[in-house]
Amino acid sequence: MQTFLTALFTGTSHGAIYALVALGLVLVWRGAGLINFAQMGQAMFSAYIASTIINHHINYWWAFIVAIIAGGALGGAIDVLVIRPLKKKSGSSILSSPSMRDAIPVIASLGILGILQSAAGMIWAGEERGFPAPVSTLGLSIGKRAMPFTRFDIFVIVLIWLILIATTLLLNKTSVGLAMRASALNMEVARLSGIRTRSIRTLGWILSGSLASVAGLMVAPATNVSPNSLDLLMIIGFTACVIGGLNSLWGSVTGAFILGLTISFINIYDAPGDVFLGIFAILIAVMIFRPSGLFAKGKARNV
Amino acid sequence: MLKIENLTVNFDANSALDNVSFSAEVGKITTVIGANGAGKSTLLRTISGLKAPKSGSITWRDSELVGMRPEAIVRAGVALVPEGHAVIPELTIDENIRMGALFRLRKAKSDVTTAIAEMYELFPQLADRRKAPSSTLSGGERQMLAIARALVSRPEILLLDEPSLGLAPLIVKQIIGIIEELCRKSGLTVLLVEQNANTALDVADHGVLLALGKVVADRPAKDLRADVSLREAYLGY
Amino acid sequence: MFKIRRNASIAIAFFVFVFAIGTFVGPYNQGQIAVALTLFIGVLSINILTGLSGQLSLGQGALMAVGGYGCALMMINAHLSMWLAIPLSLIASALVGLLLGLVAAKLSGPYLAGTTLVLALAMPTVANKFDSILGGDTGLSIDTGMPPTWLSKVMGDIAIEQWNLYVSLPFAALALFFAANLFTSQSSRRWRAVRDHESAAALVGINVERTKISVFVISSAFAGVAGALYGLRGLVGPSVFAISLSLSLLTGSILGGLRSIAGAGLGSVIIVFLPDWIGKVIHPFSLSDQVTNYLPAFVSGLLLVLTVVVNPSGLAALFAKIFRFSRVKR
Ligand SMILES: Nc1ncnc2c1ncn2[C@@H]1O[C@H](COP(=O)(O)OP(=O)(O)O)[C@@H](O)[C@H]1O
Ligand SMILES: [Mg+2]
Repeated sequence: MQTFLTALFTGTSHGAIYALVALGLVLVWRGAGLINFAQMGQAMFSAYIASTIINHHINYWWAFIVAIIAGGALGGAIDVLVIRPLKKKSGSSILSSPSMRDAIPVIASLGILGILQSAAGMIWAGEERGFPAPVSTLGLSIGKRAMPFTRFDIFVIVLIWLILIATTLLLNKTSVGLAMRASALNMEVARLSGIRTRSIRTLGWILSGSLASVAGLMVAPATNVSPNSLDLLMIIGFTACVIGGLNSLWGSVTGAFILGLTISFINIYDAPGDVFLGIFAILIAVMIFRPSGLFAKGKARNV
Repeated sequence: MLKIENLTVNFDANSALDNVSFSAEVGKITTVIGANGAGKSTLLRTISGLKAPKSGSITWRDSELVGMRPEAIVRAGVALVPEGHAVIPELTIDENIRMGALFRLRKAKSDVTTAIAEMYELFPQLADRRKAPSSTLSGGERQMLAIARALVSRPEILLLDEPSLGLAPLIVKQIIGIIEELCRKSGLTVLLVEQNANTALDVADHGVLLALGKVVADRPAKDLRADVSLREAYLGY
Repeated sequence: MFKIRRNASIAIAFFVFVFAIGTFVGPYNQGQIAVALTLFIGVLSINILTGLSGQLSLGQGALMAVGGYGCALMMINAHLSMWLAIPLSLIASALVGLLLGLVAAKLSGPYLAGTTLVLALAMPTVANKFDSILGGDTGLSIDTGMPPTWLSKVMGDIAIEQWNLYVSLPFAALALFFAANLFTSQSSRRWRAVRDHESAAALVGINVERTKISVFVISSAFAGVAGALYGLRGLVGPSVFAISLSLSLLTGSILGGLRSIAGAGLGSVIIVFLPDWIGKVIHPFSLSDQVTNYLPAFVSGLLLVLTVVVNPSGLAALFAKIFRFSRVKR
């Protein structure tokens, strides 16, 4: 029973982290129409920055804030420096075919991932660094009873739910959110309404980068920080989006929790070595049987 | 005055507009009529900045619109209601209307509230279902919503691309009536594109006949309405 | 018929040219040329898949791994000769490509890209899962063995790198020949139609799904041969077919030119020789190890992004534009 509960709690807290990654991916997908494979590279880079700050004996929370800003800034920079010039370039024969128009930005994002990872290697020697958690990651006891979760698990779950709720409110209840949804759904009508869709898209990149950075900081205590430390997280986040459907924000979040629990149970009841195969099996199964995601209702897209 | 001078617009090698010049008076309804494929939509899309012209100029109140981005052109007071009930079906009716006013929120917040309220007065059909997704609307109601979305930005000139397309005559009458009233009462300048020439020429002050991308007639609407031979030659009725 | 004869002469000329260069340079360069020839086949597999049919695979290295493991298993367990195992290994990868293609044909761009990437990342776990057969993390050792005595008699002492080059060369020339025929064939026109106007292609009666699957199978066959040759340098294992391999192939393909065979050649040369060129450039600056270690990856990432933004058709198309000699298929 205790084992089961531990798996449940760990799965939920990891699922919450995956949800942030998925949310970040969906925001860019909806806004710019590409899977940003550099996303967790941005997060890794900002985790290194945070770790450097912490190593200088500066408070965790300052590092936390700087990392969020750095992740967002990187996202914004990618949009302005790479994606915008790409969108402008329409004359090239390669970009005249729709399948390539979709593929080229994805390839660019992979290149950016390579740049970020090797830059981190050059700056921080590619060393694997430990990373602190803001609260204890050790087993928690209340009275004499050992609890099936740690303080950090609770912290992660609460923090991320707050972020998820805040993001939903931002998108659904504010003017900026309306502008973001309108630009994602129909760019032409949005522009004809006076919305500066280009800036709005950049905002999506910034938001996505910040969310990914939070996710990166939350897994760092477990994975440490190294140029490739967040690759797995990226894969899991992508799979979560596939499970939920790239167009559905809450679908992806749900997919993330499903995946978090699945991975946690495989880890505890089966063998950690099977995690990847598990992810891959889920991915393929969803793609074969529900290609537009488990929660897609017909063709309707909902944020 | 909206002034269009020597406007040429190409799609690849084919020209959709060929050296088009005419102007639309402030406070008047100008209509552009022409058969399918004459270049009417291209004209409006070029004015709105969605399509870049090959050459020529478009000035509104003496400022050049060519080269401006669509969102900037809207902010300069030129609003387009594109062809085919252009609303965002996934958003609610209220969101669709608010969307048109977003850019004015910072400068004129209280007026935005007033403008939205006015839209619901203008189109009472929309008022009862503000929170419903606009995908639940009928064709006529969608067209009204699209017009409301454009009007809520308080444009000085409204460009309408075939608002009557596919709608029942009664609805067309209501919509055209509203447009006419806005022009006569509040001095809105209107550029109305129609295939349905009679409806348009009945309300318009001035008419421009477009054929295969060229202006073939540019006269007072009454004269154009009376010229049966011209209509038969270019519109077939 | 004329095209086939022309393509055959190009392939033969290529063979002779590379053979000549490969015989006169030192073992270090011979090793590099051998790898470039191998990766040329791998990049071709991307140019066929993505360039001709518009399907983006980020995990071509995984298909190479299938070929590599297939070749190793045939050589180790069935004691097949390398000359038989290499061509047969393409059957293994083509079969896996068929399975993947069946899924891929139903997927739209971003989903396919992600899935193939996951596939490439999952490969080491598969190797570990079946470690009794596949050798786990360590992998399986195979090599090209000793050059035949008649060759040594003719050519004198042959270094292992030189022999690797001679083994790779005929396959690279054959790959060039087949790819050239594919690029000029009737069916590639169908593929391009699917790539550029999927719904229009379906309207004129092209079976879009079957087309996508068949391109996937052909591309996988190329990747399989590349993988076998890549493994024959000594080891077939997860570290050899790491995700970085998939990414370098993609980089080579984009840098050189996604839609041309000459582009695949240029691209594979660049990815193999780039680290050396960078080493030469930075040599006078005595940079720290951490910089020199990561610089090649940094530069190739930068080149990839720059190419995509500035000249997405790649170097081959650029040269073609400048000199108007190479036939770049649109
Ligand atoms: N996106 C486009 N691509 C290519 N040609 C177009 C496009 N849009 C319109 N055209 C061409 O431009 C001409 C004018 O079209 P349009 O402005 O839509 O006419 P109208 O609105 O008067 O029916 C037509 O010949 C049409 O084929
Ligand atoms: Mg039209």
